[in-house]
Amino acid sequence: MKVKTGYIREYSVISAALGLLILLNLILGSVIIPPRDIFASLAGLSDLSFVNEILWDFRIPKAITALLAGVALSVCGLQMQTLFKNPLADPFILGISSGAGLGVALFVMGFSAFGISLSGSFALNLGVAASAWVGAFGVTLLILLVSSRLRDNTSLLIFGIMLGSVASALITLLQYFSSSSSLKAFVVWTMGSFSGLTSAQIWIMSMLIVPGLILSVYNIKELNILLQGEAYAKSLGVNLEHTRRRILVATTLLAGSVTAFCGPIGFIGIAVPHIARMFFRNADHKVLIPATALLGAAIMIFTDTVAQLPGQSGVIPINTVSALIGVPIILIIILKSKFI
Amino acid sequence: MERVLETKNLCLGYNKVIYKEITTFADRGEIVAVVGPNGIGKSTLLKSISGIQSFRSGEILIDGKEISSYSHNRLAEKVSFVPSQSPRARNLSLFDMVSSGCYNRTNWLGQVGSNEMEFIYHTLERVGLTDFAGRDSSRLSDGEFQRATIARALVQESKIIFLDEPTAFLDIENKLTITRLLKEIAHEEARCVIFSTHDLQLAIKHCDRIWIMGRDSFSHGNPQDLIEKGAFDTMFKDSPLKFDRNLYTFV
Repeated sequence: MKVKTGYIREYSVISAALGLLILLNLILGSVIIPPRDIFASLAGLSDLSFVNEILWDFRIPKAITALLAGVALSVCGLQMQTLFKNPLADPFILGISSGAGLGVALFVMGFSAFGISLSGSFALNLGVAASAWVGAFGVTLLILLVSSRLRDNTSLLIFGIMLGSVASALITLLQYFSSSSSLKAFVVWTMGSFSGLTSAQIWIMSMLIVPGLILSVYNIKELNILLQGEAYAKSLGVNLEHTRRRILVATTLLAGSVTAFCGPIGFIGIAVPHIARMFFRNADHKVLIPATALLGAAIMIFTDTVAQLPGQSGVIPINTVSALIGVPIILIIILKSKFI
Repeated sequence: MERVLETKNLCLGYNKVIYKEITTFADRGEIVAVVGPNGIGKSTLLKSISGIQSFRSGEILIDGKEISSYSHNRLAEKVSFVPSQSPRARNLSLFDMVSSGCYNRTNWLGQVGSNEMEFIYHTLERVGLTDFAGRDSSRLSDGEFQRATIARALVQESKIIFLDEPTAFLDIENKLTITRLLKEIAHEEARCVIFSTHDLQLAIKHCDRIWIMGRDSFSHGNPQDLIEKGAFDTMFKDSPLKFDRNLYTFV
């Protein structure tokens, strides 16, 4: 079998690092909670009510959100890179984030146009998520509709990028005509954030991401064949159109849902699959999918931890940190391009 | 002789016809070369009769049945295709590359059954790549990589193997090795091997049958008959090139 037991060491090292990073993430923040108190609270033995409150109401939901987002974006990015045989493909290459952005822009700025003000309420959060999801799903639906008429995956890629550009242009147009307060609400969404999700929202998010991950595992067999070219895949009896559709649906479930609840988070989806390839030196998706999932979770939780570093003076936007971490990784990969 | 492939009045192309009226056949245990000038449609012919590309009109019979009557998987059991330039995937081991030929016989995760392992190693031995099984396939030399793509097609266990210019970009030694290997496969394993090439000398020496895609007519037959009939001269009609019957090449 090619799922080599030899990789158990690599997987355990990454899992251990992930565990430590999660602990660090729970410790750091506006107040530092010592590990002793964290373990006590996790075991239900803590009577420090403020520790329980910070941990269970804020930090744990935020950590779960970050983990889900990290796994989803990385696994999605891997599939896009394989499908398009393009090392620079990311989860949003088909315009999913622009579609989501357009949904949010229409929602936030549309409401202000009718003179209704929405301020930081639960309805606003859920409305933003729903409109982002509708936008992302709309883009995928359009792509699915035309995909059977597109000859190959390169045409699909061009179509997706063009669709994204149209959505971005429409967003700019909306921004030009919107009030400064709604503009701010939109810009805050684009910065990305893992905090403020209620447990109900986290449930919805996982209900979308888990099927996306299951579908991704189901895609492994065809992804491995796609590595060797579309003509060969076709001659082997792979139903390319079917495969393309399955990968697209997985992408929407994964990247679309993360974008809906956390905003368009960049760089992780493109960088993590490369890190996984660098570590494991194996092109087999049976190895790479679990590897990107673990590494994605670890890097995303690290990103969130760095974002909390200013402590009491506030939080750095996630997208700023992910760019600062992701871009050097991408540059290193380009310089050592033997890994691409 | 078992007729595994037959075409009747086959017209190639999608919107416009690029080559007309191909009526020919190939038998089991035969090695067939497809020759013709650049751009005449050799690749299109191979892709059309292997079901990768659609064709305009006419009939293609694989094992006596119309090609369109096969499902994706069933067709793959009859026909395999080796593209002219397969993309090389980084870090894909030679073993994983070759075992992908088992696609239709693996489980939902694409894992190869233990009964297939021996067959895959045997196939690697057949093409002379036993020692390379664990290597990164993208780092093989051109000749080795081409043999790997042939092994991949052999693992597919189809009756017919199509190869699009398998010897292009190879040096003389590798050209000979590959051509001999293809001949062995056709004769010893009773498969039908059909490949396109620009190397007339090798084709005439080693092939049982040649399909000539001439500028305005298609001809086929065994090499000696074609030479007698002067069929090779149709390849570069209206040009000063003349086929030399002793050198087996154009001068």
